[in-house]
Amino acid sequence: MSLLNAIGIRRPGRLAAEAAAVAIAVLVAFPLYWMVLSALKPAAEIQSTDPRPWTLAPSLDAFRRVFEQQDFGRYFLNSLIVAGTVVIASALIAFLAATAVTRFRFRFRTTLLVMFLVAQMVPVEALTIPLFFLMRDAGQLNTLGSLILPHLAFSLPFAIWMLRGFVKAVPEALEEQAAIDGASRTRFLWQILFPLVFPGLAATSVFSFISTWNDFLFAKSFLISDTSQSTLPMALLVFFKPDENDWGGIMAASTVMTVPVLVFFVLVQRRLVSGLGGAVKD
Amino acid sequence: MTSTALRRSRWTPWLYLLPALVLLAGLLVYPIYQLGLISFLEYTQAQVSGGEPTSFQGFGNYAALFGDAEFWRVLLATVLFAAACVLATLLVGCALAVLLTRVRALPRLVLMMAALGAWATPAITGSTVWVFLFDPDYGPVNRVLGLGDFSWTYGQYSAFALVLLEVVWCSFPFVMVTVYAGIRAVPAEVLEAAALDGASQWRTWRSVLAPILRPILVVVTIQSVIWDFKVFTQIYVMTGGGGIAGQNLVLNVYAYQKAFASSQYSLGSAIGVVMLLILLAVTLVYLRIVRRQGEEL
Amino acid sequence: MTAYARIAAPLAGLVLAGLAVTGCAPQTSAGGGTKDEKSGTLRVWLFREVGNNPKEKVVDAAVAAFEKRHKGSDVEVEYIPVDTRAQRIKAAFNDPASAPDLIEYGNTDTAGYVKDGGLADVTAEYTAWDEAKDTDPTAKQSVTVGGKVYGAPLFVGVRALYYRTDVLKDLGIDPPESQAELVAAAKKIHQARPGLYGLAVGGAYTYGALPFLWAQGGELAVQRGNTYRAAVNTPKARKGIETYASLFGDANCPADKCASMGGNATVTAFTSGKAAMAIGGDFSHAAVEASKAKGKYAVVPLPGVKKGSIAPAFAGGNNIGVLKSTSHRTLAVALMKSLTGKQSQRGLFDAMGFLPTYRDVLDEAAKKQPYVAPFVKTLDAGAKFVPASPAWGQIDASLILPTMYQEIVSGRKSVDRASDDAAKKMDAAFSAAR
Repeated sequence: MSLLNAIGIRRPGRLAAEAAAVAIAVLVAFPLYWMVLSALKPAAEIQSTDPRPWTLAPSLDAFRRVFEQQDFGRYFLNSLIVAGTVVIASALIAFLAATAVTRFRFRFRTTLLVMFLVAQMVPVEALTIPLFFLMRDAGQLNTLGSLILPHLAFSLPFAIWMLRGFVKAVPEALEEQAAIDGASRTRFLWQILFPLVFPGLAATSVFSFISTWNDFLFAKSFLISDTSQSTLPMALLVFFKPDENDWGGIMAASTVMTVPVLVFFVLVQRRLVSGLGGAVKD
Repeated sequence: MTSTALRRSRWTPWLYLLPALVLLAGLLVYPIYQLGLISFLEYTQAQVSGGEPTSFQGFGNYAALFGDAEFWRVLLATVLFAAACVLATLLVGCALAVLLTRVRALPRLVLMMAALGAWATPAITGSTVWVFLFDPDYGPVNRVLGLGDFSWTYGQYSAFALVLLEVVWCSFPFVMVTVYAGIRAVPAEVLEAAALDGASQWRTWRSVLAPILRPILVVVTIQSVIWDFKVFTQIYVMTGGGGIAGQNLVLNVYAYQKAFASSQYSLGSAIGVVMLLILLAVTLVYLRIVRRQGEEL
Repeated sequence: MTAYARIAAPLAGLVLAGLAVTGCAPQTSAGGGTKDEKSGTLRVWLFREVGNNPKEKVVDAAVAAFEKRHKGSDVEVEYIPVDTRAQRIKAAFNDPASAPDLIEYGNTDTAGYVKDGGLADVTAEYTAWDEAKDTDPTAKQSVTVGGKVYGAPLFVGVRALYYRTDVLKDLGIDPPESQAELVAAAKKIHQARPGLYGLAVGGAYTYGALPFLWAQGGELAVQRGNTYRAAVNTPKARKGIETYASLFGDANCPADKCASMGGNATVTAFTSGKAAMAIGGDFSHAAVEASKAKGKYAVVPLPGVKKGSIAPAFAGGNNIGVLKSTSHRTLAVALMKSLTGKQSQRGLFDAMGFLPTYRDVLDEAAKKQPYVAPFVKTLDAGAKFVPASPAWGQIDASLILPTMYQEIVSGRKSVDRASDDAAKKMDAAFSAAR
């Protein structure tokens, strides 16, 4: 018997609940709809004192302005490199660290765990100042490294914290069996443990991907003058002008920025639900 | 409990931890150390670009900060605003999680996708779109609500309310998905038993679900506190860097403005340290809760 | 492969850096550039103006000519938004390695940038440059700190009153000749045409507000020995602040819209037909000409307190400077000369209406374009400057004056209290910068 039956699938309130769910979904999706709509509206309609929730003359002009921006493809690629590197590196490093803190007993283990929690509290924006000097002294300003490294570091504590539950959930017996079968530690780690924990990795990578992909603070602060190293959010900022914001361009660029994240979400959606459940139920 | 295979060397865990610790030491601990250091120095643009030597100020920067009425006003606003955001996010997230368990697959998928969409939206984009939706001249919201050309960003409360709406919009999905995943993990028999007892919805939630979900609720609460206390992009974008006469400043934006707009890096750092200490206090409370529940970390 | 290299190098570099710097205090920049390469890429940051295209064309022409003259040089121009310039330029000073070679900067920032150690001293090259001899003395003053020259003036900026001739004529209002008439006209227009702001004002439009303060005989700050003391809370200054603040509200420019506006927003209100009058600069001329207001507007000097007098305007303007950290000093100075030379300034005047900084070119311009007359008149009547203290940059960037105006117009504080608070903050900045 499924959960749904238990909580009251046979009650007459179900239809009302479903109607409510759909209505709320519409409400929640409305800003996104408006974003895409504004990107498609011809310029004259965007800033109209009579805003209509549809357009009869959709135009791709705004998208053209986005894509025709100098080096737009470059920005997109840079963003992908930065976010991709952070997601993969953070997943691997966090997996190792989470294994260490859940499957071993050693001194300072609890202290370390508390530190991983505390590390999440750090207001990233406040660290922009020292990080700026650090990157400058390391000669990394104006490079993608100046974005990858901090994002990697900031995504780790949360990823480790979330992954603990998954690593813990893998039965100890499995490990003992592997040892009896003569599997080396490394083999167990990568060929047995890693695939089992993979759903959890997918769930945590959502967080590192989003925060890295969306960042404009570091990009604005660390990529001072080399526009060939810019990331997508910078391409969005171009449309904020002192005289008159180019709303069509802003909305089109926003749409372009949001789509990859949505795709990523859809890819990991199922794992996300089971993943988050697994992470917190330990 | 510890397995035999992995216990061979006592250095093994440290080996596994090494990459994480190196990164965190270099990019988190060291900058925090510098942040603390700068907060005790006189450090303005002239020191940064080498025009003048740095000088040690002791607690001078903190004294200046605590002596500034604006700081206390911003601190209070930050705490209240974060509390309101956390509360609203949790309420909406939990309510919708329960709703998700009570509908069939299709409506559930629709709501889930909408929520994921909101979650996926970059903060800067979400903020921009929301400002646009509530624009006094061109936005549809004032139209629908019949508010004429009411300017949401002018009043302190209405501006905070607008930002709150956006923050809830983009952060409730995390709560909803997590709590929903938690409810799904609750054994069906438990809920059936409650249903057979004829317990009302509210009672089922209060006396059956809530206790089981407690660890999850604690986690989502603490995450929400961490995120909402540090809100930056939304305030920065939606109120144009802190609102009229700085009425919508929160600590994070305040620190940024002090440091980067007026190049008072030391004051900005001192604010950062204060924020860190406040969040540390929250963590300690959290750890006590976890300990009291008899769980191990 | 490249991705890998890009990541591996920083990782290695970072670990080394972490080892090398542990325990030291945060470091300061090394300072000046050491090399003087004769070819390579020159990076230039210019401000993005309202209606930037004509400016880009003039600059592109100057750059093309420069690149032809200097084989092997490549000039990259980036247009940066004015409102976030402070952060960008400071970041550039902080990291010489990634800084541009030349920047455009507002003349109010000169003292601050020099104190920050960001601008190169070009006194020798500037005095040897024959075109520089015709530079207007006020303009030259704006690039000079302590007797040394830190750049070349690009244009002078001065503001006057733009008004819609059609609206005023319809309502039977004469162009205002005194401050009282200006306020009365603004209110009368808004009453008759509620959809229009009488005079577009902005809570964040400091340089539009200052003439009111100066017209009453007030001052921002007075010099005391080698430092300044804020004077915005003197009775005269307060009277000027009060007059400007009285223009916010339902009688002219509703506070909920206008409190957050800056200078550009007020000009945009005028060009989009939402305001009947606005305080705009000579540099706004091109934008107004390109707008709906074309052919329906006129410009007069902003009136002072006494009928027929002119309110002292802010002597604004931008300069182009070479960064101390440049590794192409000779080339950079040459490019500075091409960008600010007479020919470029003529081009900028024709394209953007930027007033030339050379006396002869300015006179030439006034003869060619009669619209320049009210601006030249305003300049001749005596324009004023902000305190020539390095603290001004900080006072400007920390929004002390906009905050004061916004506090007053939103009813949060009285004029007395807001100006006292602002004076306190200004004094703190002055004493810190000493």
